[in-house]
Amino acid sequence: MTMMTEAEAKKVLDKVLSLAKADQCIVQLTGGREGNIRFARNTVSTSGEVSDLQLVISVAYGSRNAAVTTNDLSDASLAAAVKRVQELAKLAPENPEFMPAIEKQKYKASDTFAQSTADITPADRAQAAADSLEPSRKKGLVAAGFLQDNIGFVAHANSNGVFGYQKTSGVDFTCTVRTEDGRGSGWVSRNVDDFKRMSTAKASDIAIQKAEMSVDAKALEPGRYTVILEPVAAAGLINMMLGGFDARNADEGRSFMSKKGGGTRLGEKFFDERVNIITDPWHPDVPVLPWDGEGLAREKLDVVKNGVVNYLNYSRYWAKQKEKQAKALPGNLIMSGGKKSLEELVKGTKKGILVTRTWYIRMVDPQSVLVTGLTRDGTFYIEDGKIMYPIKNFRFNESPITMLNNIEELGVPERIAGDEAAVIMMIPPMKIRDFNFTSLSDAV
Amino acid sequence: MARYDFYFTRLMYESGDWDVDQRMPSNILHSLVQYTTLRVDPVERIVALSDPVMLEAPFCYLAGHKLVQFTEAEAANFRQYVANGGFVFVDDCNHDIDGLFAQSFERQMAQLFGDDELKKIPNNHLLYRSFFEFDGPPTTSVELNGWGDDLVHDYLKAIVVRDRIAVLYSNKDYGCEWDYDFRNKRWYAVDNTRFAVNIIMYALGG
Repeated sequence: MTMMTEAEAKKVLDKVLSLAKADQCIVQLTGGREGNIRFARNTVSTSGEVSDLQLVISVAYGSRNAAVTTNDLSDASLAAAVKRVQELAKLAPENPEFMPAIEKQKYKASDTFAQSTADITPADRAQAAADSLEPSRKKGLVAAGFLQDNIGFVAHANSNGVFGYQKTSGVDFTCTVRTEDGRGSGWVSRNVDDFKRMSTAKASDIAIQKAEMSVDAKALEPGRYTVILEPVAAAGLINMMLGGFDARNADEGRSFMSKKGGGTRLGEKFFDERVNIITDPWHPDVPVLPWDGEGLAREKLDVVKNGVVNYLNYSRYWAKQKEKQAKALPGNLIMSGGKKSLEELVKGTKKGILVTRTWYIRMVDPQSVLVTGLTRDGTFYIEDGKIMYPIKNFRFNESPITMLNNIEELGVPERIAGDEAAVIMMIPPMKIRDFNFTSLSDAV
Repeated sequence: MARYDFYFTRLMYESGDWDVDQRMPSNILHSLVQYTTLRVDPVERIVALSDPVMLEAPFCYLAGHKLVQFTEAEAANFRQYVANGGFVFVDDCNHDIDGLFAQSFERQMAQLFGDDELKKIPNNHLLYRSFFEFDGPPTTSVELNGWGDDLVHDYLKAIVVRDRIAVLYSNKDYGCEWDYDFRNKRWYAVDNTRFAVNIIMYALGG
C-alpha cells in the first residue's frame, strides 16, 4: 500500500534516523496514487493509475552532504540506503552554501485532503471524460482533454526532532475543443482539491462555446488595447514575476526588485493600490502544506499590500549572509479582486479584447519582467458591453509589473494551478488598459 | 522670446490615418523633460499639413498605416518646410517595407524630391550620437515577432538637405513602441524612448 498513515510513516522515518550515524540526517517519505484519463479526437485514448512511494535520505558530515532515494522500505533496504548515503556524503566536496538541518518546528495542520478525491474510481474518470466528450460529439466538434487526480501523503523528519505528516489531494482537468475544420478553438482548465467540486461537463461547455464562437476570426491591427484577461490568462503573466520576489535574485541584480547600485526595493510601491496579494497555507479555497520544501513552518503573510511589495523570500543561506530572518517559501498566492463576474466586466467595457488564454510565455528581460507570448483558444472583440466577433490571435510583449499598474477593474478571484502557476493561486479576472499586442498569430 | 524651445507637432494629412499611437507624444515629451534642459510645451499640437502654420514647427511627426498621397497644398507645404530646413520624422506603423504606407510614402517622396533622394543613412550617423550613444537604430518589439521570420530593419532612411537630415523615415514602428503611459517607463531596465530624445535633439541642431 502506497498510502500510509501518520503512525506508519513515522515508524519508517524513526527507523532511518536511528540507523544514521552522520552529523545530521533529514528524511522525507512521500507516497500515493495518481490516476488519469486522456482523450483526443473525441475518444478516450489512455487511462491509468500509478501508485508509488519515495523515501529520500539526506545526511551530512560537516558541510559534506549527499542524498539517496529508494522505494523499498524493508529493513535490509533501509540499512543499505543509510550506509550508501553516508559513504557518498564522505566523498562529496564541501558545500560552500551548506545549511544545517532546521530546528524543531511547530506546524498547524491545513486541510489539504478531500476524501472524495481518494474515492475516485476508474469508472468515475470514464464518466468525467464522457461528460466532456458527449456534448462535443453532439455538436459535431472535436474534443481533447486530460483529467489527472492524485492523493498522497508527505512525511518528513530530521535528527533535530522535526516531524511533519499530512495528506494531500488534487484534481486537474484541461480540455480543448475544436471545430471540425480546425478554424475554431476553445480551451478550459480547472484545478480543485476536492473531486466533488469538479464538473468536467460545466468546464467543457465553456470550451465548446468558445470553439463555436471563434470561427471566422477577423484580424485587428496589433497595438495597445484594453483587455479583459480571464484569471488563467492573467496568471500566466503573474507567474513570470514570482522569481523577482527572491531576495538573492534582487540583491544580485536579476529581479525587478533589484535596486540600481545594489540592494533591494522592498517596501516600494510597484503596483496599482488595488493590488493586494497574500500567502496563507490555511486559505479555504487554496490550502497548501503548512511547511515548505525544507520543512520550515509556513505562515500567513502580506506579499503585496495596496500596491507596495512587503515581502522578499530569504532562503536560509541568503538570510544568514544578509542577517535577515529566513521564512518558509510560500505555497500559494491569493490576490484580492472585486465582486464582478467576467460577464459583468465585459458588460461594462466600451471597447476591448477578451483573452481566454496566454500561452507559450517566455522571458525577454528579467529586470523589467518583460515577457512575450501568444493568445489562444478564443480571443474576442468587445464593443459596448457585448462580445462582437472573434479576432485573430496576437503576440504580446508586456510586463506583469506594467499590467498591474494599468488596472481598470478586477473581478471575482478563481483558483488557478497547473501549467499556468508555479504555486497554486487565486487570481481575479482583470480589465487592463494599454495591453501591448505586437503582431498577429495564425494559430487558433 | 518664445516660451518654449520645443513643441511636438503631429501632421494631419487627408489620404490616410494620421491619428495613431496616441500616447506616444506625451511619453516622448516626458523623456525630454527628464533628460534635457529644453523648455518643453507639454501639449501635443495637431496641425494639418496643408496649414502654413506647420512651416513654423521645429519638428513634425507623420505616421500611419494607410495611403499617403498628398493634396497640392500638402505637397507644397511639405516641400517648402524641407527646403526651409525643417525636420519631419516619418514612421511606418505597419513596420513592413511592402505595406501600403511604405509604398505610397516612398512614391510620394520620389515625386516631391526625385527618385533616389530617400536613402539609407549609415549607422554611425550623428543622429545616433546626438544625445545618447547608439550603434544604429534600436530594434523595436514589434519587429521581433518571435516566429523566426523577424522583419528587423537595421537602418533608417532619410532625405538629406545641405548635409542635414530633413526627412527621417523609419519602418520600425517606433510610434507603437513608445505608445504607452509615460508613468510606466520607470519599470524598464533601459528606457526605450531614449532614441526619441536623439531624434529631437538632432532635429533641433544637436
